[in-house]
Amino acid sequence: MLTAALRKELLLQWRSRSQMMAVFVFGATSLLLFSFAIGPNAAALRTFSAGFLWLGLLLSSTLTLAESFHAEMENRALEGLLLLPSNPRSLYYGKAIANWLQLTLLGIALVPVMVVLYDAGTTQLLTLLVVILLGTAGLSAPGTLYAAMTAQVRAKQTLLPLLLFPLIVPALLASVKATSLAILGDPMHDLRNWLTLLGAFDLIYWSLCGLLYPKVIEE
Amino acid sequence: MDIAPPSTTKTPMILLALGFALLVIGSYLGLFVAPAEQYMGQVQRIMYVHVPTVWSWMLCVCFTFIAAVIFLFRNDLKWDARLEAGLEVGTLLCAMLCCQGAIWAKPTWGVWWDWDPRLTSVAVLLFAFLGIIALRQFVDDPPRRAVWSAVATIIASADLPIVYFSVKWWNSLHQTQSSPSTVSSAFHLPLRINAFGVFFVMVAFVMLRSRLATRKLREELV
Amino acid sequence: MQGVVTGGWGFVIAAYSITGIALFGYAAWLIQKNRERR
Repeated sequence: MLTAALRKELLLQWRSRSQMMAVFVFGATSLLLFSFAIGPNAAALRTFSAGFLWLGLLLSSTLTLAESFHAEMENRALEGLLLLPSNPRSLYYGKAIANWLQLTLLGIALVPVMVVLYDAGTTQLLTLLVVILLGTAGLSAPGTLYAAMTAQVRAKQTLLPLLLFPLIVPALLASVKATSLAILGDPMHDLRNWLTLLGAFDLIYWSLCGLLYPKVIEE
Repeated sequence: MDIAPPSTTKTPMILLALGFALLVIGSYLGLFVAPAEQYMGQVQRIMYVHVPTVWSWMLCVCFTFIAAVIFLFRNDLKWDARLEAGLEVGTLLCAMLCCQGAIWAKPTWGVWWDWDPRLTSVAVLLFAFLGIIALRQFVDDPPRRAVWSAVATIIASADLPIVYFSVKWWNSLHQTQSSPSTVSSAFHLPLRINAFGVFFVMVAFVMLRSRLATRKLREELV
Repeated sequence: MQGVVTGGWGFVIAAYSITGIALFGYAAWLIQKNRERR
């Protein structure tokens, strides 16, 4: 059941890959704008590069998350899905995983942009990948739940970030910190702690949101 | 779904009067009778209203969370009315305590804001509650609005301890300021009186606001 | 903390005023709304 849902989601995403390109450009443009906001201060840009990366990723996520329910809303397929004898939870996890993969790819794509714009190179690529995986997982779980909710109301574009942003503060904090340590160095070996925090956040929210999802699309 | 008619305003009005009376007494004592703090001077008097506000806010948030959970289990719109009240009163208290905290912080730390874990966690919850209140404005169907707000409230409440610990940790890497400790002088009486005062006022607010929410729900369900 | 914090009355008055205005204002609004129509 889950694999079927996941396969459907990935197929949908593959079909709309041109849109992914647009989101990547949006993310890259945001990173560019951040450097203008700070000014040509190479040291400052490097110091805050992790923050910019994650802010860019967060802003882009509002686009991709909202899109993930677009297909359902277009054809009123949400109601149709409810009639099928399928498990709504599989649907949720399928979408959440697909969104997670999408955001991870976006994160990976934005890393070179960050490296170039902010002179934020690092050799700790594996660490960076782990942070991106854990951080985007933290965005994806609650993001998918709220996207399901807001897809069905007016003013959906404003409501999704409004609900999501306060919630993911711990994930954002930890992701930025961990990324920063990967780029700038980790003298106190704090990295493991931040990754643990991210892991705990992900665990809690992947369970809680999956638990609550059926209620959200009921009726 | 339907909902029972609202109750009378007698009890909340009594609580309101009682609460305000206590606040007047407690504040008078705190402002004019209690001695000034040794190092903090007059500014520490702010704690006589700030700490009671924080306590009542915490209770209000607990109440809101419980109302959300009960609603999801029982599907009784009465609890949605209470959730709506808890969200609004909680937001009011939260805004108040952020202002009080910032006003205390300026002369004490020299800045309006510092990444004090408590103040930061509270600010995050404030925005979370505002988001849920905004969500409610855009959903017209009462049962659906109730379910979604309950779900969002539970998620936001679950986040609160995580936010607190992560900010505390994040902040500990820099120097820590002294936290707004409870009044250290021996004069606890104004604090206790004000604590009861704000508490009764808060309960009265939640009751009166639930009443308004109940009335609106009855109109919507007709 | 260095030294004594002086001249804090302005802040105290500000904090207490905000508290009072918020509580009284909201109370007044609630009472008025509850009395409407019925």
